[in-house]
Amino acid sequence: MKIEPICKPQSAVWEPAVQQKAFRQLMNAFAFPGSLETLLPEVQERENNLLRLILATLTDGAVTVADPHHMIDDHDWSKLETNRETPEKARFIVARGDTAPIFSPALGSLECPEMGATVILNVTYIGRGEALVMRGPGIQSEKVIACSGLTPAWLNKRSEWNGAFPLGVDMILFDTARVIAIPRTTRIKIKEGQSWDM
Amino acid sequence: MNPYYELPQDEAGYSFGFLDEYAKREVRRNILKAICIPGYQTPYASREMPMGRGFGTGGLQLTLSLVGRSDTLKVIDQGSDDSVNAVNLRHFIELTCPGVDTTERTQEATLIQSRHRIPERRLTSAQILVLQVPYPDPLVVVEPSEARRKIMHGEGDYSRLLTKLYEDIVRFDEITISHRYPTRINGHYVLDPSPIPRFDIPKLNQSPALILFGAGREKKIYAVPPYTNAEPLAFDDIAFRTEDFTDEQGLRRSCHRCGATDSFLDEFTSNDGVRIYQCSDSDYCNQRLSTQHSAANEASR
Repeated sequence: MKIEPICKPQSAVWEPAVQQKAFRQLMNAFAFPGSLETLLPEVQERENNLLRLILATLTDGAVTVADPHHMIDDHDWSKLETNRETPEKARFIVARGDTAPIFSPALGSLECPEMGATVILNVTYIGRGEALVMRGPGIQSEKVIACSGLTPAWLNKRSEWNGAFPLGVDMILFDTARVIAIPRTTRIKIKEGQSWDM
Repeated sequence: MNPYYELPQDEAGYSFGFLDEYAKREVRRNILKAICIPGYQTPYASREMPMGRGFGTGGLQLTLSLVGRSDTLKVIDQGSDDSVNAVNLRHFIELTCPGVDTTERTQEATLIQSRHRIPERRLTSAQILVLQVPYPDPLVVVEPSEARRKIMHGEGDYSRLLTKLYEDIVRFDEITISHRYPTRINGHYVLDPSPIPRFDIPKLNQSPALILFGAGREKKIYAVPPYTNAEPLAFDDIAFRTEDFTDEQGLRRSCHRCGATDSFLDEFTSNDGVRIYQCSDSDYCNQRLSTQHSAANEASR
């Protein structure tokens, strides 16, 4: 006997095949830092859907999520079935890129650097704005990517947090449709010459 | 795997890719962390698979977490697509991932799962290589405690491993590690590159393709991101060297089928006791042969 689902899922975001594609794009973004990934058009119908897709792909009850800027609505919290946590302890932190961070995320430990947080930042537009120059693993020589709506305070804090490899945080930047990732190994400079190494 | 094995009829019982979505999500999260910390062995909860641990369950879990309907998969065992491990894993993925294409041609594959070899043909940045790993930690030969090994890895302290290599040179005039040669990634972590021959180690360095390693029994995932430095451990005065395929006359041996002199060769003894050499990468050998045949046909016309 085939059991019908009680209610149809409202968004493609919750479908495994969509999450598989989204994961491959996120993985590509991490493997090639600074390379632009345009996440699936079929899930871009609603505002904030990209954040929902990223969280649905990466989080569940086994991890913790912090939302200091209240970007996740109550309905998504219940669908994600994940655990709320303070930004200091959470594995995933969702935040606004135009607001300076007022917390220190988990950086992991020497034995377990993977416990360093993944920071998911909402920026205004990727592909236009201040140019960031990136170097490091995954980048053949250097990669230039423009990004607007990211306060320099984030990059300053990032270089502070990532000062002692292997400890550090990894970042995902997203706007309404596009995503880039910045692993802790990527060294970033702003085009004018001011540097935020690591 | 039993050739008559069939998945239970009730399709609701198995999701695409056999693993449940929670298991895949956990593997996926750890893949991302493994890419962010190149060479670090990220622990994960390795699931029971319907085959014995040691038969590539770590690589299989990576593949099943990665694969989607638009993928073309190649599975290799010791360079060959036709040996028993490769055939079984490919068959299992075909059963559990309907819609995924499989191929033997390296250049057609988007996802390559391999045991003991990296393909001869240079991979591209659109491809992902998954290697099956029996023993992920190169420090296990010098330190039995995993807790201490984790600290040594974190500090980048490989002095005892280098001492082991030095002792080899003192006793045998040669580092005696033939495969699983310890390799330092991005200047920090040293990893076990799985039982690939030394010949394949240079392919890890600045590879355009992402390389993922899965150890199912030891429950570890690690990665060499694309365009990342991978240096085999060596000494200033004794350089790393790969397998030597020169014969008594000092000539590079060639494959007896396709004549290749740039590939990793397997050695066989023929029925009359003669040593013969053949490409270990069967797809590379077959493609060279078919190019030669078509060129010969063109010429004879």
